[in-house]
Amino acid sequence: MPEPEIAITLEEFRARAALTGLPLTEEDIGHLHKGYAGLLALMQRIPDQWAWAAEPPHVFRADE
Amino acid sequence: MTDLTTLGIADAGRMMARGALSSSALTDAFLARIASLDGKLSSFITVTAERARAAAVQADTERRRGFTRGPLHGIPIALKDIYETEGVLTTGHSHLLADYVPAIDAETVRRLKAGGAVILGKLATHEFANGAMTPDQPFPAARNPWNLDYQPGGSSSGSGAAVAAALCMGAMGSDTGGSIRNPAGFCGTAGLKPTYGLVSRCGIYPLSFSLDTAGPLTWTVEDSALMLDVLAGHDPNDQASARAPKVDYGASAHRPIEGMRIALARHWYDGITPDMDKGIDEAVRVLRDLGAIVEEVVFPDIRDYHICGRVIITAEAHAIHRREVIETPEKFGYTTRRRFQLGAFLSAEQYLSALRFRRQLQVDTRAAMRGYDLVMTANQWGAPETFEEPQPIFHFLGKPSLTMPFNVTGQPALTVCCGFGGDGFPLAFQLAGRPFDEASVLAAGAAYERATSWRGRRPKL
Repeated sequence: MPEPEIAITLEEFRARAALTGLPLTEEDIGHLHKGYAGLLALMQRIPDQWAWAAEPPHVFRADE
Repeated sequence: MTDLTTLGIADAGRMMARGALSSSALTDAFLARIASLDGKLSSFITVTAERARAAAVQADTERRRGFTRGPLHGIPIALKDIYETEGVLTTGHSHLLADYVPAIDAETVRRLKAGGAVILGKLATHEFANGAMTPDQPFPAARNPWNLDYQPGGSSSGSGAAVAAALCMGAMGSDTGGSIRNPAGFCGTAGLKPTYGLVSRCGIYPLSFSLDTAGPLTWTVEDSALMLDVLAGHDPNDQASARAPKVDYGASAHRPIEGMRIALARHWYDGITPDMDKGIDEAVRVLRDLGAIVEEVVFPDIRDYHICGRVIITAEAHAIHRREVIETPEKFGYTTRRRFQLGAFLSAEQYLSALRFRRQLQVDTRAAMRGYDLVMTANQWGAPETFEEPQPIFHFLGKPSLTMPFNVTGQPALTVCCGFGGDGFPLAFQLAGRPFDEASVLAAGAAYERATSWRGRRPKL
């Protein structure tokens, strides 16, 4: 599989990382940036427009 | 290899029923084999020899008095080390729980014990059923018994290795994105991911609430059916647990499959190794010879299931482990930590879109399956990976998972060994059924095994 297109720069990612509450090293941020960019590229397959009635499935079951 | 350790569960049960074998002798044979060989494999984290011998004596005593608890009475099995066990170390293969001894059993463990099973010990896993096997973890990584330089697959790594090496007659694994079926495929065992909600997860460390399932790995499909007979059933303490009708899975493994309709999802595995492709083609021929109708059917794109499941796992795993990755990140292995951290970067909208996408994929898969009893596809792309360092941090950036579709849809899915490649590693395919139709899945898998000779080949250790 080809390298994913980087849709978020390292600087943008670092700014987001500061808001997560996670204690991250520079090495963590480097790995996570690559992983997040890859995830974003793959997530382009997930529709982002949904009908208002498209309710996600429930873990809790109404019959119990 | 001794004869006793290569017996199937059904055969051992029949021998014990007629007095030709005791659980104590069987248990001692497995404990001796573990002591002799597991130094090479590292499939066990904890061996509970004394408890096992006591349980075997109890099983023999009950049988002599005419009391049998079912198909697992006196049968030695083992548990992935994410199953809580009363009084026995339960580590998740992690420094975080390296000393943790639970006070009660997981519901599945309770059911196995109530069914007469003899617990031999706890098995290696990828850390918390997610991380790769890295040297910064407290226990060694399990090895593939077909070639010790290679990984056994995961995350139920010890379960696959131990069953294939005949160190136990069956093992419990867990499957969120393929963690039963991956090691089953790479180690050449059977492995069943039940329908989401059929088997309780209460007392099993979660990875992803809405995808986690618990199930068996065994040498034969029939043995998985016998374990499922004991495991299946509603549990009010598991919020996803379903009230499904009671089924005799052991009997279903002997059902004929003439007329069964199987949809072959060939387009999902475009690019697998030539050996794997040939093995699956030959398996299709065998199933057709047995009377099944196998036709190629187009399903949604494999990449859709892959990313849908991966977003859900990433978000839910972060929610479960957030506190530890903030307070004690150094206690995780270096891959596990990053995989659990990544979910902090996903938005609620992205997570909910993945959940909505899951519903769409469930509906589209059901539509593609209309008129068919089962789906058949490849189990893995090729041979397992070697133990190279460093391990990839984010494995989802590679090829799409062939096992993820049935986690996303919740359907039952079974791994069946269909031969061996030129490199000596097992080949495998998956059979998936409609939700709660494990019976058809097991019938087809067992029929295939009876029609072929692959169950006669074991790794040489």
